[in-house]
Amino acid sequence: MIRTRVCASAVALAFSLAAAAQEAPVDDYDVIYAPAMIAPEATSAVLTEIATTADRQVAVGDYGVIVTREHGSDDWQQADVPTSVFLTSVDFANDSIGWAVGHHGVILQTTDGGQTWERQLDGFQYIDLQLAYYEERVAELEAELASDELDPEQQMELEFQLDNALFQLDNAVFAQEEGPTKPFLDVLALSADELIVSGAYGALLSSNDGGASWQIRDDRIENPDGFHLNAIQNLGDTLFLAGEAGQLFRSDDRGLSWETLTSPYYGSFFGMYIDQQERLWVYGLRGNIFVSEDQGESFTQVKLEDPVNINAAIDAPDDGLYFVGNGGVVAYLSADGELVEHTHKSGAVLTDLVINADGNLTFVGQRGVLSMPSSALTEKD
Amino acid sequence: MSEQQVEKKADKSVFLERLIFNFRPLWVVLFALLTVFLGWHASQVRPEASLMKMIPTNHPFIQNFFEHRDDLASLGNVVRIAVETTDDTIFTADFQKTLQEITDEVFFIPGVDRTGLKSLWTPNVRWSEVTEEGFVGGPVIPDNWDASEESLEQLRTNVLRSGEVGNLVANNFKSALIYVPLNEINPDTGEPLDYQAFSEELENRVREKYQSDDIKIHITGFAKIIGDLIEGAMQVGLFFLIAIIITLVMLFAYSRCWRSSFAVLGCSIIAVVWQLGIIKLIGSGINPYSMLVPFLVFAIGVSHGVQIINAMSSNRVEGHNRLMSSRLAFRALYIAGLTALISDAIGFTTLMVIDIAVIQELAIAASIGVAVVVLTNLGLLPILMSYFGISERGRRYSERVRDEDHPVLTLFSRFSQPKWAYSALAVALIGLSWGIIQGQQLKIGDLDAGAPELRPDSRYNLDNQFIVDNYSSSTDIFVVMAETEPSQCIAYDNLEVMDRFSWHMENTPGVQDVKSVVYVAKMGSFALNEGNLKWFSLNRNQYVLNANTGRTPPGLINPDCSMAPIIIYLNDHKAETLRTVVEAVNTFNANYQQEGLELLMAAGNSGIEAATNAVIEDAQYEMLLWVYGVVIVLVFITFRSLRTVACIVLPLALTTVMSQGLMATLGIGVKVATLPVIALGVGIGVDYGIYIYAKMKEGLERGMHLDDCYKYALDSTGKAVGFTGLTLAIGVATWIFSPIKFQADMGILLTFMFIWNMLGALILIPALARLFSRFGKRIH
Repeated sequence: MIRTRVCASAVALAFSLAAAAQEAPVDDYDVIYAPAMIAPEATSAVLTEIATTADRQVAVGDYGVIVTREHGSDDWQQADVPTSVFLTSVDFANDSIGWAVGHHGVILQTTDGGQTWERQLDGFQYIDLQLAYYEERVAELEAELASDELDPEQQMELEFQLDNALFQLDNAVFAQEEGPTKPFLDVLALSADELIVSGAYGALLSSNDGGASWQIRDDRIENPDGFHLNAIQNLGDTLFLAGEAGQLFRSDDRGLSWETLTSPYYGSFFGMYIDQQERLWVYGLRGNIFVSEDQGESFTQVKLEDPVNINAAIDAPDDGLYFVGNGGVVAYLSADGELVEHTHKSGAVLTDLVINADGNLTFVGQRGVLSMPSSALTEKD
Repeated sequence: MSEQQVEKKADKSVFLERLIFNFRPLWVVLFALLTVFLGWHASQVRPEASLMKMIPTNHPFIQNFFEHRDDLASLGNVVRIAVETTDDTIFTADFQKTLQEITDEVFFIPGVDRTGLKSLWTPNVRWSEVTEEGFVGGPVIPDNWDASEESLEQLRTNVLRSGEVGNLVANNFKSALIYVPLNEINPDTGEPLDYQAFSEELENRVREKYQSDDIKIHITGFAKIIGDLIEGAMQVGLFFLIAIIITLVMLFAYSRCWRSSFAVLGCSIIAVVWQLGIIKLIGSGINPYSMLVPFLVFAIGVSHGVQIINAMSSNRVEGHNRLMSSRLAFRALYIAGLTALISDAIGFTTLMVIDIAVIQELAIAASIGVAVVVLTNLGLLPILMSYFGISERGRRYSERVRDEDHPVLTLFSRFSQPKWAYSALAVALIGLSWGIIQGQQLKIGDLDAGAPELRPDSRYNLDNQFIVDNYSSSTDIFVVMAETEPSQCIAYDNLEVMDRFSWHMENTPGVQDVKSVVYVAKMGSFALNEGNLKWFSLNRNQYVLNANTGRTPPGLINPDCSMAPIIIYLNDHKAETLRTVVEAVNTFNANYQQEGLELLMAAGNSGIEAATNAVIEDAQYEMLLWVYGVVIVLVFITFRSLRTVACIVLPLALTTVMSQGLMATLGIGVKVATLPVIALGVGIGVDYGIYIYAKMKEGLERGMHLDDCYKYALDSTGKAVGFTGLTLAIGVATWIFSPIKFQADMGILLTFMFIWNMLGALILIPALARLFSRFGKRIH
């Protein structure tokens, strides 16, 4: 059940009722700027990710829905969110500061642990950023190319980069007309100041000042086909990016430069997880799960029987791991490699999960918030 | 009585009387010819149940619906056949063989839209999954199907992957569905679909043929409701027969004269034949609602006929011959009879204010019926009786009872005495309070689940319950039509507002689910991005949107892409739920205005019901105002005294209030079927008051004491009033056993109203007269 924060919402309701009487109806509705509707059924909306802070769980999803609940409570409350876009990812730097990202180039920040959110970037601003960046980049590259001291190889490399920058510039010019069409797909908060956002068609964006200003990083990775960058994860200062068509990248300098890793799989990856033992898990299409104990140099495969997308993983209390995926698949991989597969009765796409204090699992996905006792996996059905 | 006196009485004859009695043979021949002619037409009458006539066609919702009717056709008109096994699972060779056979059988039933037919055994039901290379998929029935264990296992896997669990396969895997869309218009012949014939075909070729100990068949859909309605309506013929037999027995018990009993019965049946013949001639059909009218016409005919033979036998006792008895009876009664019948007719006519065709048809049919009764029972009956005469036995009986004090009448006559009068008024006040308190709970619309037209435990509703329980689909559907410029129905800006609207509606109490092309677009984006849920959204790029909506099922956008229905699945069709939904849509429309996009209500069974409820709710009080206004004016014109108006109208008002209380108690809502009942009850109920008060007034004018006046009134008409109340009640009481829920509701309410109005007239009129006479004394 959803209840908005009582005190604030009562006041807000009184205001909004008064305002509704006078306010002109919306005639230029844009999903970016429309505040999320306070919805009794918010926990039934499509939800994509759920994060945990010291105080609460925070889940994000469709229609700008962000719901939170205190640990141990069943009472979900909907946060005030100044956008209605489909949110795809949420991550916290600490117990109060966190970010959520979504479609239409929207980036939101919270400084009160997820209860209220502010828009830091929207797709139109993002397009302007891209325009400015690629104009500058084109100017830089043209200047470099104009110098006489280039060997042919450098020349070719610069020309290639210029071509690419011009292409991106064209895209940005076109996007000004069309509006933002590329969703952000994951956010990684490294600290209260430092965060990285990855997205569709190779979008990569970072900030060093808590989202006050942004740097375009698309061209720091070798992604000529513009594959989607579905997931980003860090192990200390080492960062990993995983994406469409088995793309895997690693950065040892907090995202400034990236090297392409040899991928164990040519299908898409949808998520990454670093477990308690600092192993890197990547997973994706058709039940494919890979684990690396050497920071992505080499991988071992764990294959699920169900050929469905695997979307998220989490440490189980007993050194095993839980995975969730499409078709309601919930899998448990024990520390000694035994795999138990189960289908949640909803059969819904599950995209993320957390473990509650009582050991039970809370999922988010196609049908919003769902839950399951962890015993469902140990008892054979 | 001497010849002279008779001559003298004959001289006082009025024009109408001379017109009728001077040309008796001519009239008999004329009536006979007309009866043959109209009888032949009446025999052509077939019950029909047309959706068009049951809905308020001028309501804006319905106008919007009509505008897009062709585009919405494929949405609504569907029959679902669930084939259930008593085994553990549908994945057995035997079951699949049966399912295949039934699918083939249904394929060939005329009216079925064969391209849209869906079951596990039609090639359009496919599974698919995402692989590294893209989609793979195929029909759910494996290509190399051989009914082996491997084939069945493959089928099970394919079914799970197809996403049809909850749609074509029950959630418990014990039944499978055949989804049968219908062509409203036969594409070959251009003929409209004959619902009843189709429904019968389903029964014969599917249920009869395949239902067995192992296989159960459940069928739902609008076509089936109509089929069952008409089938149920056929049984009403039997009720009519029963009503005739009971009435005959009562007539004989009353008169002890077979001749007059059959004459009254015959004339009343002739009235029904004429009424049916005339409505056939004027092209207005008979529907399950207006089927009530023949019963009413018959009962009204009998009650007026009884007055005639009652008067005749008195005249015979006084020594007049057949002809003279008849003439005198006519002379004495024609004014009261005409007044009463006119008040009936006007009462029925007030129903015309309700803008729903079946109610208007009922009003027309009833008015015609009453007019016919004037001819048959005030015209033909006296003529016939002037030939037959009252039998000797009847005359003797009449003579005997005239001098006896009937115990029941003695009881009623006490109600003009103060003690009895005030006790009766006190009881009436209690009844009134009960009615008012209970009446607060009175609901608009249909309250039961499933098809409210049929009984909750009817086979149809049990089948419906089975499908609701085992499949993920609500049968209460409210459709909002998103209207745009041509080719703009999937434009990004429009889809985004429609998406917001869908979310707004999903958060409205009573709404289960919302589906539209928006959902298809979001699912398409999800599917085309390798089943990654993070893409479950609308994209500003129109080419992307076009690709994402490429697999839109027919019906979710119209051919020129100017309208997309938004289908809202509801928990139920209670009036409150519908009102909440309508309000939610209005709120959204007031808050979001998108150039070039209009969200119009409403289609779907619940949308239509919302419109019907709105019309009923408005008409409810308007109709009461009209009925009571007319009755008050009529009574005032007749008696020219406000006190009399109060004496006659207050008991009627009590009955109206109490019947609303009864409706609330029995869980009967105010709806198309029950709204007219109040008008019918008041219109006919006022007759009793008119008869009784007329006689009381006569007594008062002769200077009689109030008690004696009332006794005089009771003696002369009380018995006839009691008889009339009972005949009317019996005529409609047979309806209580109708398989059609609303007919039963009408039967219960009318029986209650006819009996209660009769009691009200017999008890409360004298009591009120007593009360007012006291005030009168004080004032003077």
